[in-house]
Amino acid sequence: MKTCIITGAGSGIGRAAALEIAQAGEFEYLALIGRSEEKLSQTKSMMQTASQVELYAYDLAELEGIPALVQRIYETTGEITCLLNIAGYTDPQPLLTTSLESMRLTYETNVFAPFMLIRECTKYMRLNKAGAKILNVASTAGITPRPGWLSYASSKAAVVSMSQTLSEELAEYGIRVYCISPGRCATALRRKLAPNEDQSKIMQPEDVGHIIRELVSDTEQCLDGQNIVIRKKT
Amino acid sequence: MFSVIILAGGTGSRMHQSVPKQFLALAGKPMILHTLERLERIDEVDEIIVSCHPHYKELLQMHIDAYMLKKAYKIIDGGETRQQSAYLGVKAAKNEDIIIHEAARPFVTTQEFRDLIQCPAKNVTYGLDIPFTVSVRDGDAISGLLERDKLVNIQLPQKFEREPLLRAYEQAEKEGNVFTEDTSLLIHYTGEQVHILKGTPNNVKVTNTVDLIAGEMIYKEYIVGRD
Repeated sequence: MKTCIITGAGSGIGRAAALEIAQAGEFEYLALIGRSEEKLSQTKSMMQTASQVELYAYDLAELEGIPALVQRIYETTGEITCLLNIAGYTDPQPLLTTSLESMRLTYETNVFAPFMLIRECTKYMRLNKAGAKILNVASTAGITPRPGWLSYASSKAAVVSMSQTLSEELAEYGIRVYCISPGRCATALRRKLAPNEDQSKIMQPEDVGHIIRELVSDTEQCLDGQNIVIRKKT
Repeated sequence: MFSVIILAGGTGSRMHQSVPKQFLALAGKPMILHTLERLERIDEVDEIIVSCHPHYKELLQMHIDAYMLKKAYKIIDGGETRQQSAYLGVKAAKNEDIIIHEAARPFVTTQEFRDLIQCPAKNVTYGLDIPFTVSVRDGDAISGLLERDKLVNIQLPQKFEREPLLRAYEQAEKEGNVFTEDTSLLIHYTGEQVHILKGTPNNVKVTNTVDLIAGEMIYKEYIVGRD
Protein backbone atom coordinates (compact mmCIF):
# COMPACT_ATOMS: atom_id res chain seq x y z
CA MET A 1 0.00 0.00 0.00
CA LYS A 2 1.50 3.36 -1.01
CA THR A 3 2.28 4.89 2.36
CA CYS A 4 3.34 8.30 3.61
CA ILE A 5 4.60 8.87 7.17
CA ILE A 6 4.23 12.44 8.43
CA THR A 7 5.76 13.57 11.72
CA GLY A 8 4.58 16.67 13.54
CA ALA A 9 1.18 16.15 11.94
CA GLY A 10 -0.73 17.62 14.91
CA SER A 11 0.01 21.27 14.14
CA GLY A 12 1.83 23.82 12.04
CA ILE A 13 3.61 22.78 8.87
CA GLY A 14 3.08 19.08 9.64
CA ARG A 15 -0.67 19.49 9.80
CA ALA A 16 -0.75 21.68 6.69
CA ALA A 17 1.32 19.16 4.74
CA ALA A 18 -0.88 16.29 5.93
CA LEU A 19 -4.02 18.10 4.76
CA GLU A 20 -2.51 18.92 1.37
CA ILE A 21 -1.28 15.37 0.84
CA ALA A 22 -4.58 13.88 1.91
CA GLN A 23 -6.39 16.08 -0.57
CA ALA A 24 -3.99 15.18 -3.39
CA GLY A 25 -4.76 11.50 -2.82
CA GLU A 26 -1.44 10.13 -4.13
CA PHE A 27 -0.99 7.88 -1.10
CA GLU A 28 -3.31 5.09 -0.01
CA TYR A 29 -2.23 5.20 3.62
CA LEU A 30 -1.22 8.17 5.75
CA ALA A 31 0.52 7.53 9.07
CA LEU A 32 0.23 10.69 11.14
CA ILE A 33 2.75 10.90 13.98
CA GLY A 34 2.58 13.45 16.77
CA ARG A 35 2.78 13.70 20.54
CA SER A 36 -0.88 14.55 21.08
CA GLU A 37 -3.58 12.12 20.04
CA GLU A 38 -6.10 14.94 20.36
CA LYS A 39 -4.26 17.19 17.92
CA LEU A 40 -3.75 14.33 15.48
CA SER A 41 -7.49 13.62 15.65
CA GLN A 42 -8.18 17.27 14.86
CA THR A 43 -5.92 17.02 11.82
CA LYS A 44 -7.72 13.89 10.69
CA SER A 45 -11.13 15.50 11.19
CA MET A 46 -10.09 18.33 8.85
CA MET A 47 -9.30 15.91 6.01
CA GLN A 48 -11.48 15.00 3.09
CA THR A 49 -9.75 12.03 1.59
CA ALA A 50 -10.19 8.51 0.29
CA SER A 51 -6.83 7.56 1.81
CA GLN A 52 -6.70 5.46 4.95
CA VAL A 53 -5.51 7.72 7.77
CA GLU A 54 -4.10 6.23 10.97
CA LEU A 55 -2.88 8.10 14.04
CA TYR A 56 0.32 7.22 15.86
CA ALA A 57 0.53 9.24 19.07
CA TYR A 58 4.22 9.08 19.84
CA ASP A 59 6.88 11.32 21.36
CA LEU A 60 9.82 11.13 18.96
CA ALA A 61 12.21 12.05 21.76
CA GLU A 62 11.73 8.39 22.74
CA LEU A 63 14.34 7.34 20.23
CA GLU A 64 14.61 3.69 21.25
CA GLY A 65 11.02 3.00 20.24
CA ILE A 66 11.34 4.34 16.70
CA PRO A 67 12.43 1.05 15.05
CA ALA A 68 9.35 -0.71 16.46
CA LEU A 69 7.11 2.18 15.39
CA VAL A 70 8.35 2.05 11.80
CA GLN A 71 8.17 -1.74 11.75
CA ARG A 72 4.54 -1.56 12.95
CA ILE A 73 3.64 0.79 10.10
CA TYR A 74 5.46 -1.37 7.56
CA GLU A 75 3.77 -4.55 8.77
CA THR A 76 0.40 -2.82 8.43
CA THR A 77 0.96 -1.44 4.95
CA GLY A 78 3.62 -3.65 3.34
CA GLU A 79 5.41 -0.60 1.93
CA ILE A 80 6.89 2.68 3.05
CA THR A 81 6.88 5.09 0.15
CA CYS A 82 7.46 8.47 1.70
CA LEU A 83 8.74 9.91 4.98
CA LEU A 84 8.21 13.53 5.96
CA ASN A 85 10.34 14.64 8.92
CA ILE A 86 8.51 17.77 9.97
CA ALA A 87 8.32 17.61 13.78
CA GLY A 88 10.53 20.23 15.38
CA TYR A 89 11.49 21.62 18.76
CA THR A 90 13.08 24.84 19.89
CA ASP A 91 14.26 26.38 23.13
CA PRO A 92 15.94 29.63 22.08
CA GLN A 93 18.65 30.69 24.53
CA PRO A 94 21.92 32.57 24.34
CA LEU A 95 25.03 30.43 24.67
CA LEU A 96 25.63 31.08 28.34
CA THR A 97 22.17 29.96 29.41
CA THR A 98 21.88 27.04 26.99
CA SER A 99 21.90 23.92 29.13
CA LEU A 100 23.19 20.60 27.94
CA GLU A 101 19.70 19.22 28.55
CA SER A 102 18.14 21.83 26.26
CA MET A 103 20.74 21.17 23.57
CA ARG A 104 20.17 17.43 23.92
CA LEU A 105 16.38 17.70 23.71
CA THR A 106 16.61 19.93 20.62
CA TYR A 107 18.96 17.52 18.87
CA GLU A 108 16.88 14.50 19.87
CA THR A 109 13.78 15.91 18.20
CA ASN A 110 15.35 17.78 15.29
CA VAL A 111 18.28 15.51 14.36
CA PHE A 112 18.35 12.14 16.13
CA ALA A 113 14.66 11.30 15.59
CA PRO A 114 14.81 12.10 11.83
CA PHE A 115 18.04 10.08 11.62
CA MET A 116 16.38 7.09 13.31
CA LEU A 117 13.26 7.39 11.16
CA ILE A 118 15.31 7.65 7.97
CA ARG A 119 17.48 4.70 8.91
CA GLU A 120 14.54 2.49 9.80
CA CYS A 121 12.40 3.53 6.82
CA THR A 122 15.32 3.03 4.43
CA LYS A 123 15.46 -0.65 5.42
CA TYR A 124 12.03 -1.02 3.84
CA MET A 125 12.23 1.68 1.17
CA ARG A 126 15.17 -0.18 -0.43
CA LEU A 127 12.72 -2.95 -1.28
CA ASN A 128 10.41 -0.67 -3.31
CA LYS A 129 10.56 -1.20 -7.07
CA ALA A 130 9.36 2.35 -7.76
CA GLY A 131 11.70 4.06 -5.28
CA ALA A 132 10.80 6.28 -2.36
CA LYS A 133 11.07 9.84 -1.08
CA ILE A 134 12.28 11.38 2.15
CA LEU A 135 11.69 15.05 2.93
CA ASN A 136 13.33 16.80 5.86
CA VAL A 137 12.27 20.20 7.10
CA ALA A 138 15.29 22.30 8.07
CA SER A 139 15.15 26.08 8.38
CA THR A 140 16.79 29.23 7.08
CA ALA A 141 18.11 29.41 10.65
CA GLY A 142 20.35 26.50 9.69
CA ILE A 143 22.18 28.44 6.98
CA THR A 144 22.65 31.93 8.50
CA PRO A 145 23.88 33.07 11.91
CA ARG A 146 21.12 33.37 14.53
CA PRO A 147 22.48 34.68 17.84
CA GLY A 148 20.33 33.39 20.68
CA TRP A 149 19.09 30.35 18.75
CA LEU A 150 22.19 28.21 19.06
CA SER A 151 20.57 24.84 19.67
CA TYR A 152 17.83 25.24 17.07
CA ALA A 153 19.96 26.84 14.33
CA SER A 154 22.79 24.33 14.67
CA SER A 155 20.37 21.40 14.71
CA LYS A 156 18.81 22.62 11.47
CA ALA A 157 22.27 22.98 9.91
CA ALA A 158 22.72 19.31 10.77
CA VAL A 159 19.45 18.49 8.99
CA VAL A 160 20.66 20.26 5.84
CA SER A 161 23.93 18.35 5.89
CA MET A 162 22.28 15.03 6.70
CA SER A 163 19.88 15.50 3.78
CA GLN A 164 22.58 16.31 1.27
CA THR A 165 24.76 13.41 2.37
CA LEU A 166 21.91 10.92 2.28
CA SER A 167 20.68 12.19 -1.07
CA GLU A 168 23.88 10.78 -2.57
CA GLU A 169 24.18 7.75 -0.31
CA LEU A 170 20.64 6.53 -0.98
CA ALA A 171 20.46 7.38 -4.69
CA GLU A 172 21.42 3.83 -5.67
CA TYR A 173 18.23 2.57 -4.02
CA GLY A 174 16.03 5.03 -5.91
CA ILE A 175 15.39 6.97 -2.70
CA ARG A 176 15.22 10.73 -3.29
CA VAL A 177 16.03 12.94 -0.31
CA TYR A 178 14.63 16.45 -0.19
CA CYS A 179 15.42 19.25 2.22
CA ILE A 180 13.40 22.41 2.61
CA SER A 181 14.36 25.41 4.69
CA PRO A 182 11.35 27.59 5.36
CA GLY A 183 11.91 31.16 6.46
CA ARG A 184 9.55 32.88 8.86
CA CYS A 185 6.38 30.81 9.06
CA ALA A 186 3.38 31.33 11.31
CA THR A 187 3.66 28.34 13.63
CA ALA A 188 3.73 27.77 17.39
CA LEU A 189 7.44 27.00 17.11
CA ARG A 190 8.04 30.33 15.39
CA ARG A 191 6.12 32.05 18.19
CA LYS A 192 8.76 30.79 20.64
CA LEU A 193 11.54 32.15 18.43
CA ALA A 194 9.91 35.52 17.75
CA PRO A 195 7.21 36.15 20.37
CA ASN A 196 6.34 39.69 19.29
CA GLU A 197 5.99 39.07 15.58
CA ASP A 198 2.71 39.72 13.76
CA GLN A 199 2.18 36.24 12.30
CA SER A 200 -0.54 37.43 9.94
CA LYS A 201 2.16 39.16 7.89
CA ILE A 202 4.48 36.21 7.36
CA MET A 203 4.37 32.93 5.43
CA GLN A 204 1.61 30.56 6.54
CA PRO A 205 1.96 26.80 7.15
CA GLU A 206 -0.37 26.18 4.21
CA ASP A 207 2.15 27.82 1.86
CA VAL A 208 4.83 25.36 2.96
CA GLY A 209 2.40 22.43 3.04
CA HIS A 210 1.53 23.08 -0.58
CA ILE A 211 5.19 23.01 -1.62
CA ILE A 212 5.76 19.78 0.33
CA ARG A 213 2.88 18.19 -1.52
CA GLU A 214 4.43 19.21 -4.84
CA LEU A 215 7.82 17.82 -3.86
CA VAL A 216 6.53 14.40 -2.79
CA SER A 217 4.31 13.94 -5.82
CA ASP A 218 5.38 11.33 -8.37
CA THR A 219 5.95 14.00 -11.02
CA GLU A 220 8.71 15.84 -9.11
CA GLN A 221 12.08 14.36 -10.07
CA CYS A 222 14.53 17.27 -10.08
CA LEU A 223 14.78 19.05 -6.75
CA ASP A 224 16.18 16.38 -4.44
CA GLY A 225 19.63 16.78 -2.93
CA GLN A 226 19.32 20.56 -2.64
CA ASN A 227 18.51 22.79 0.26
CA ILE A 228 15.34 24.44 -1.00
CA VAL A 229 14.80 27.79 0.69
CA ILE A 230 11.15 28.82 1.00
CA ARG A 231 10.54 32.46 1.75
CA LYS A 232 7.51 34.62 1.15
CA LYS A 233 8.15 38.12 -0.12
CA THR A 234 6.55 40.64 2.21
CA MET B 1 20.20 -22.56 -8.32
CA PHE B 2 23.64 -20.94 -8.02
CA SER B 3 26.24 -20.65 -5.31
CA VAL B 4 28.29 -17.48 -5.59
CA ILE B 5 31.81 -17.44 -4.22
CA ILE B 6 33.14 -14.00 -3.37
CA LEU B 7 36.88 -13.77 -3.01
CA ALA B 8 37.55 -11.26 -0.25
CA GLY B 9 40.66 -12.60 1.40
CA GLY B 10 43.03 -9.79 0.46
CA THR B 11 44.82 -7.81 3.13
CA GLY B 12 45.04 -4.54 1.20
CA SER B 13 48.83 -4.41 1.14
CA ARG B 14 48.93 -2.73 -2.28
CA MET B 15 46.57 -0.02 -1.11
CA HIS B 16 48.77 0.71 1.94
CA GLN B 17 45.68 0.76 4.16
CA SER B 18 45.13 -0.66 7.62
CA VAL B 19 41.85 -2.26 6.49
CA PRO B 20 41.63 -4.63 3.49
CA LYS B 21 40.37 -2.83 0.40
CA GLN B 22 37.12 -4.80 0.29
CA PHE B 23 36.14 -3.02 3.51
CA LEU B 24 37.23 0.46 2.43
CA ALA B 25 34.35 2.88 1.87
CA LEU B 26 33.34 3.35 -1.72
CA ALA B 27 30.50 5.85 -2.23
CA GLY B 28 29.80 5.67 1.49
CA LYS B 29 29.71 1.95 2.13
CA PRO B 30 32.22 -0.91 2.30
CA MET B 31 33.28 -2.01 -1.15
CA ILE B 32 32.14 -5.60 -0.69
CA LEU B 33 28.59 -4.47 0.12
CA HIS B 34 28.14 -3.15 -3.42
CA THR B 35 28.37 -6.66 -4.82
CA LEU B 36 26.44 -8.33 -2.01
CA GLU B 37 23.52 -5.91 -2.33
CA ARG B 38 23.26 -6.60 -6.06
CA LEU B 39 23.35 -10.35 -5.56
CA GLU B 40 20.47 -9.95 -3.10
CA ARG B 41 18.23 -9.07 -6.06
CA ILE B 42 18.99 -12.22 -8.06
CA ASP B 43 16.48 -15.01 -7.47
CA GLU B 44 18.67 -17.73 -9.00
CA VAL B 45 21.29 -17.25 -6.27
CA ASP B 46 20.47 -19.02 -3.02
CA GLU B 47 23.91 -19.27 -1.45
CA ILE B 48 26.78 -16.82 -1.07
CA ILE B 49 30.14 -17.99 0.18
CA VAL B 50 32.59 -15.29 1.15
CA SER B 51 36.20 -16.25 1.48
CA CYS B 52 37.63 -13.86 4.03
CA HIS B 53 40.65 -13.37 6.28
CA PRO B 54 39.69 -14.77 9.73
CA HIS B 55 40.40 -11.43 11.35
CA TYR B 56 37.62 -9.75 9.34
CA LYS B 57 34.86 -12.37 9.47
CA GLU B 58 33.11 -10.70 12.38
CA LEU B 59 33.21 -7.31 10.67
CA LEU B 60 31.73 -8.81 7.52
CA GLN B 61 28.93 -10.50 9.46
CA MET B 62 28.16 -7.19 11.15
CA HIS B 63 27.77 -5.51 7.73
CA ILE B 64 25.60 -8.35 6.42
CA ASP B 65 23.30 -7.93 9.43
CA ALA B 66 23.20 -4.12 9.23
CA TYR B 67 22.27 -4.23 5.54
CA MET B 68 19.65 -6.89 6.27
CA LEU B 69 20.97 -9.22 3.57
CA LYS B 70 18.76 -12.29 3.44
CA LYS B 71 20.59 -14.83 1.29
CA ALA B 72 22.19 -17.85 2.96
CA TYR B 73 25.75 -16.77 3.77
CA LYS B 74 28.80 -18.87 4.58
CA ILE B 75 31.85 -16.89 5.63
CA ILE B 76 34.89 -19.12 5.33
CA ASP B 77 38.60 -18.66 5.92
CA GLY B 78 40.57 -17.70 2.85
CA GLY B 79 43.52 -19.79 1.73
CA GLU B 80 47.18 -18.91 1.34
CA THR B 81 46.69 -18.04 -2.33
CA ARG B 82 43.84 -16.82 -4.46
CA GLN B 83 43.58 -20.29 -5.98
CA GLN B 84 43.29 -21.92 -2.55
CA SER B 85 40.60 -19.44 -1.50
CA ALA B 86 38.60 -20.17 -4.63
CA TYR B 87 39.07 -23.92 -4.10
CA LEU B 88 37.83 -23.74 -0.50
CA GLY B 89 34.86 -21.70 -1.64
CA VAL B 90 33.91 -24.11 -4.41
CA LYS B 91 34.34 -27.03 -2.02
CA ALA B 92 31.95 -25.40 0.46
CA ALA B 93 29.27 -24.76 -2.19
CA LYS B 94 26.06 -26.80 -2.14
CA ASN B 95 25.04 -26.18 -5.76
CA GLU B 96 26.48 -27.67 -8.95
CA ASP B 97 26.32 -24.27 -10.65
CA ILE B 98 28.98 -21.89 -9.38
CA ILE B 99 29.75 -18.23 -9.91
CA ILE B 100 33.09 -16.84 -8.81
CA HIS B 101 33.49 -13.11 -8.26
CA GLU B 102 35.89 -10.91 -6.36
CA ALA B 103 34.99 -8.21 -3.84
CA ALA B 104 37.45 -5.85 -5.48
CA ARG B 105 35.16 -5.56 -8.53
CA PRO B 106 32.30 -3.56 -7.03
CA PHE B 107 30.94 -2.22 -10.31
CA VAL B 108 29.58 -5.50 -11.61
CA THR B 109 25.90 -4.93 -12.37
CA THR B 110 22.89 -7.03 -11.51
CA GLN B 111 22.32 -7.45 -15.24
CA GLU B 112 25.83 -8.82 -15.74
CA PHE B 113 25.14 -11.49 -13.12
CA ARG B 114 21.82 -12.26 -14.83
CA ASP B 115 23.41 -12.50 -18.28
CA LEU B 116 26.04 -14.86 -16.91
CA ILE B 117 23.37 -17.08 -15.37
CA GLN B 118 21.27 -17.11 -18.54
CA CYS B 119 24.17 -17.80 -20.89
CA PRO B 120 23.63 -21.39 -22.16
CA ALA B 121 27.33 -22.32 -21.98
CA LYS B 122 28.46 -24.27 -18.91
CA ASN B 123 31.67 -22.34 -18.33
CA VAL B 124 31.60 -18.62 -18.98
CA THR B 125 33.84 -15.66 -18.27
CA TYR B 126 33.53 -11.98 -18.94
CA GLY B 127 36.30 -10.65 -21.14
CA LEU B 128 37.31 -7.39 -22.74
CA ASP B 129 39.19 -6.67 -25.93
CA ILE B 130 42.62 -5.23 -25.33
CA PRO B 131 42.83 -1.69 -26.76
CA PHE B 132 46.55 -1.24 -26.19
CA THR B 133 49.75 -2.82 -27.51
CA VAL B 134 51.06 -5.81 -25.60
CA SER B 135 54.71 -6.76 -26.01
CA VAL B 136 56.86 -9.67 -24.95
CA ARG B 137 59.88 -8.73 -22.89
CA ASP B 138 63.23 -10.36 -22.68
CA GLY B 139 64.86 -8.81 -19.63
CA ASP B 140 64.99 -5.08 -20.26
CA ALA B 141 64.35 -5.41 -23.99
CA ILE B 142 61.26 -6.00 -26.12
CA SER B 143 61.52 -9.29 -27.96
CA GLY B 144 58.24 -9.26 -29.84
CA LEU B 145 54.63 -8.18 -30.00
CA LEU B 146 51.54 -10.18 -29.15
CA GLU B 147 48.60 -10.17 -31.54
CA ARG B 148 45.96 -8.09 -29.80
CA ASP B 149 43.00 -9.67 -31.55
CA LYS B 150 44.00 -13.05 -30.15
CA LEU B 151 44.09 -11.78 -26.57
CA VAL B 152 41.38 -11.08 -24.06
CA ASN B 153 41.41 -9.22 -20.77
CA ILE B 154 39.71 -11.64 -18.35
CA GLN B 155 37.10 -10.13 -16.03
CA LEU B 156 35.07 -11.62 -13.26
CA PRO B 157 32.39 -12.82 -12.55
CA GLN B 158 32.78 -16.27 -14.08
CA LYS B 159 30.44 -19.25 -14.17
CA PHE B 160 31.47 -22.90 -13.85
CA GLU B 161 30.24 -26.39 -13.17
CA ARG B 162 31.40 -27.39 -9.72
CA GLU B 163 32.69 -30.95 -10.22
CA PRO B 164 35.14 -30.40 -13.13
CA LEU B 165 36.43 -27.26 -11.45
CA LEU B 166 36.99 -29.11 -8.17
CA ARG B 167 38.93 -31.82 -9.99
CA ALA B 168 41.08 -29.16 -11.65
CA TYR B 169 41.89 -27.53 -8.31
CA GLU B 170 42.82 -30.87 -6.79
CA GLN B 171 45.07 -31.74 -9.70
CA ALA B 172 46.75 -28.33 -9.57
CA GLU B 173 47.32 -28.70 -5.84
CA LYS B 174 48.81 -32.16 -6.33
CA GLU B 175 51.21 -30.80 -8.96
CA GLY B 176 51.96 -27.60 -7.07
CA ASN B 177 50.73 -25.41 -9.89
CA VAL B 178 49.28 -21.99 -9.16
CA PHE B 179 47.01 -20.14 -11.60
CA THR B 180 46.01 -16.51 -11.26
CA GLU B 181 42.40 -17.13 -12.27
CA ASP B 182 40.14 -20.11 -12.77
CA THR B 183 39.40 -20.34 -16.50
CA SER B 184 43.05 -21.01 -17.31
CA LEU B 185 43.16 -23.64 -14.57
CA LEU B 186 40.02 -25.32 -15.88
CA ILE B 187 41.22 -25.33 -19.48
CA HIS B 188 44.64 -26.64 -18.46
CA TYR B 189 43.33 -29.61 -16.51
CA THR B 190 40.06 -30.52 -18.20
CA GLY B 191 40.23 -29.12 -21.71
CA GLU B 192 36.70 -27.76 -21.21
CA GLN B 193 35.67 -24.80 -23.33
CA VAL B 194 35.09 -21.44 -21.69
CA HIS B 195 32.72 -19.07 -23.44
CA ILE B 196 33.46 -15.33 -23.40
CA LEU B 197 30.77 -12.76 -22.66
CA LYS B 198 31.67 -9.21 -23.57
CA GLY B 199 32.47 -7.24 -20.45
CA THR B 200 32.56 -3.49 -19.90
CA PRO B 201 35.46 -1.21 -19.04
CA ASN B 202 33.45 -0.07 -15.99
CA ASN B 203 33.85 -3.41 -14.25
CA VAL B 204 37.34 -2.54 -13.09
CA LYS B 205 39.25 -4.26 -10.33
CA VAL B 206 40.06 -1.80 -7.57
CA THR B 207 43.75 -2.37 -6.95
CA ASN B 208 45.42 0.94 -6.20
CA THR B 209 44.33 4.05 -4.33
CA VAL B 210 43.70 5.88 -7.60
CA ASP B 211 41.15 3.21 -8.54
CA LEU B 212 39.09 4.21 -5.51
CA ILE B 213 39.04 7.83 -6.67
CA ALA B 214 38.07 6.83 -10.21
CA GLY B 215 35.62 4.35 -8.71
CA GLU B 216 33.54 7.13 -7.17
CA MET B 217 32.98 8.50 -10.68
CA ILE B 218 32.15 5.08 -12.13
CA TYR B 219 29.65 4.56 -9.32
CA LYS B 220 27.90 7.89 -9.93
CA GLU B 221 27.85 7.68 -13.71
CA TYR B 222 27.35 3.99 -14.24
CA ILE B 223 25.63 2.45 -11.22
CA VAL B 224 23.30 5.05 -9.66
CA GLY B 225 19.98 5.10 -11.44
CA ARG B 226 21.06 2.44 -13.95
CA ASP B 227 21.30 -0.76 -11.94
